[in-house]
Amino acid sequence: MIVVNYLAAVALLCIGLYAVLTRRNMIKMVMGLSLMEASTYLFMISLAYRSGSTAPVLLSPPPGQSAGSLVHGNVADPVLQNFCLTAVVIGVAVTAVFLSVVVRIAQHYRTLDAGQVREMRG
Amino acid sequence: MSQAALASLLPLPVAIPLCGAAAAPLLARLSRKLPVIVSVAALAGSAAVLLLEAPSVLRGRVIAHYMGHWTPVHGQVLGIAFAADPFGLLLALAAAVIGAILMLYTLSELGGLGPRELGGYACLFQLLIAAVIGAALTADLFNLFVWFEVAALSSFGLAGFFLERPLALEAAFKILVLTTLASFAVFIGAGLLYAETGALNFAQLHGSLAGHITTPDAIALGLLVAGFGTKAGLVPFHGWLPDVHTAAPGPVNALFSGIMDSLGVLAIARIVFQVYGTAHTPVLGLLMTLGLISALLGAIMALAQDDLKRLLAYDTISQVGIIVVGLAAGNAAGIAGAIYHLVNHALFKSLLFLAAGTIVHRTGLTKLSQMGGLARHMPVVAAAFMLGVASIAGVPPFNGYVSLSLIHQGLQDGHETVPYVLTLVAQVITLAALGRAAWLAFFRRRAEDYKWRDTLRPGMLAGFASLGACCVAFGVAGPVVLRRLMAPAASSLLHPGQYAAGVLSGSAKLAALRIPFDYFSPAELVSVAVSVAVAAILAWGYLRIREPLVIRALRAIHTGSANDYAAYAIAGTLAAIAVLSLG
Repeated sequence: MIVVNYLAAVALLCIGLYAVLTRRNMIKMVMGLSLMEASTYLFMISLAYRSGSTAPVLLSPPPGQSAGSLVHGNVADPVLQNFCLTAVVIGVAVTAVFLSVVVRIAQHYRTLDAGQVREMRG
Repeated sequence: MSQAALASLLPLPVAIPLCGAAAAPLLARLSRKLPVIVSVAALAGSAAVLLLEAPSVLRGRVIAHYMGHWTPVHGQVLGIAFAADPFGLLLALAAAVIGAILMLYTLSELGGLGPRELGGYACLFQLLIAAVIGAALTADLFNLFVWFEVAALSSFGLAGFFLERPLALEAAFKILVLTTLASFAVFIGAGLLYAETGALNFAQLHGSLAGHITTPDAIALGLLVAGFGTKAGLVPFHGWLPDVHTAAPGPVNALFSGIMDSLGVLAIARIVFQVYGTAHTPVLGLLMTLGLISALLGAIMALAQDDLKRLLAYDTISQVGIIVVGLAAGNAAGIAGAIYHLVNHALFKSLLFLAAGTIVHRTGLTKLSQMGGLARHMPVVAAAFMLGVASIAGVPPFNGYVSLSLIHQGLQDGHETVPYVLTLVAQVITLAALGRAAWLAFFRRRAEDYKWRDTLRPGMLAGFASLGACCVAFGVAGPVVLRRLMAPAASSLLHPGQYAAGVLSGSAKLAALRIPFDYFSPAELVSVAVSVAVAAILAWGYLRIREPLVIRALRAIHTGSANDYAAYAIAGTLAAIAVLSLG
C-alpha cells in the first residue's frame, strides 16, 4: 500500500523533471519544479510511515493505547515530517522569488520563452 | 576562557550577522549608508567572536554546543549541534573577515545607491555570510541543508539585484533553476540518510556509517555531492556560475566566488571525510574526476572569454576544480593544500573581482576587446589585478605558490601521475587566460583616451590594500600558516573519529599533524618558471590564431538555455549516483 506512495512520488518527480527539461515556457518550468518539490514531500512522508503506526502525539492517545505505550510503540517518524514542514516553508519562498523574476523577465523581454532569453552563452 | 564558555559563544558568529540582516532595511530609513556601516560592524563582530575561539580550536580542539542544551543521551542526538573544529572555524573566519572587507569596499563603490537598495543589499549580503558561517560551524545534516537554502535564497536576491539590467534577470533565472534542483538533491539525500541510519548529527552518522555502506546510503552520498557540487560550481553543475558573475556588481561577484563557493566545497569535504569516510566508496575517484574536468574546462573557457568578469568566473570553476583535486588526493599534504587554496582563492579572487568591478563601474566597459592601456589610468587597480594574477599563477612569494605546491606534493605522494600532469596543464591554461586578460586590459595601447577622471575612494583603497596584504602574508608566512592553521584543519578531516568524539562529548583533542613542506623546493620552483614561460607563449599564440575547434565545441555546449544546463546537472547527478552505488 505504501508502495503506491513511492510510485506516485517517482511519477510526480518524472513529470516535473520532464517539464523542466523540455518546456521552454518559464512558467511551465516553475510548475515543473513545484511538482518535483511536491514529490519530495510525498517521498519523505512515505519514508516516515511504518506499517500500522499512529501519529506521535502523546496527548489523548487513540482508543486502546496509552501515552506510555505510544512512547515505546509504533509511531510514524516525526523528524521526517519536520523536514517536510521546513522544506514547504522554504519552497514557498523560493517559488515566490522565482515567479517575481519570471514576471520581470516577461516585462523586459516581452516573452516567456527561456530559449529566447539567453544573451549570455559560451 | 573556559571550554564551556567558548562553546556557549558558538551561535554568536551566526546570530550577529542575522540580526544585522534583519535590521538593515529598517536602518536604511534612518540614513542611507547606515545599514552598510552596521553590517561592517556586524561582520567584524562575528569575526571577533570567531577569533576568540581560534586559539583554543586551532591548537587542535573540537568544541561543541547543543542548541537549547539538548545534549546527546547514550550517543543518541536529537538537538542541533554547532561544533567548531579547525577546518570549519578557519573557513568561517575567512568568510567573516572577507565579508567585512567587501562591505567596506561597497561603502565607496555602491554608495550612490538609494536607501531601499542599500538596505536590501546589506540585508542579503549579511544573510549569505551568516549562512556560510552557519554551514561551517554546524554538525547537523539537516541544519546544513537549511544554511544551504538560506545561502541560496539570498544569492537569488543578489544575482537579480540590479533588476533594471535584463542580463541580471536572465542570470537570476538560471541560478534559480539549478540551485532549486540542487536543493532537491540535498533534501532527498539528507532524508534518505536519516531514514537509513536514524541519525542527522555528523558524529552519530559517522558511527552508523562506519561499518558498511548500504545502497541507499551510497545514493544519498551521490545526491549530496551533486547538490553541494552545484553550489561549488563543479562541472557539470556549473551552468549558473559564469552568467551570474557576468551580470552582478563587483563586490557581489567577490562574495559569490570567494565565499559562497566555499560553502559547497566545505560541505562536500565534511560529508565525504567526516561523515562517510573514504574507505568504503569510490567517492575520491569521483571527486578526482569532477575536479579535473572542472579545472580543465574552466581554464579553457576562461581563455576564450572576451568579457572580463565572465573570464574570472570561468577561472573560479577551474580553481574550485583544483581544490577538489587536492581533497581527492586524500592524503595530508593534498588536503592541507586544498584547504589552503580554498582560503587563498577567497582572497585573490575577491581582489581580482573588485579590480574588475572597479574597471567596469568606472569605464562602463565590460569587454576586453574594448579596453586597453588601463595601467596608466588606474595604476592602483592594475597593481591589485596583477597581484591577484601572480597569486593564482603560484609565483613565489604570493599565496598561491604555497597551496599549489602542497596540492602537487599531495598528488605525487599518492602516485597520481595523470591527475598531477592534468593539474599542471590546467594551471598553464589558467595563467595564459589571465595573462591575456591583463595584457588586453592594462598594457595594450589604446587609440582613443578615456573620458572619466575619478580618484580612488578610501573604502576601495582599504579593500585592495587589505586583500592584497593578506595574499602576500599568506604566501610569505607559508610554513607558519601551514603549521598553525592548515595542518590542524587537515587533521580534522583526516581524523573523523576524533571529530565525532568531540561533537558528542562537547570537547576533544585532534591528533597533531606534521606536514613537511620545502619552501624552496627546486622542482616546484622550476615547474613554476616553466609554466609561466609556456603560459606566456600560449597566450601570445592564442591572440594570433583563429579559435581552435576544441573551444568552439565547448562554446557550443554552453548554449545559455536553462533547460540544457538543468539537463547537464541532472545527468551529472545520475552519473554520480551510478558511480557510487555500483562502484
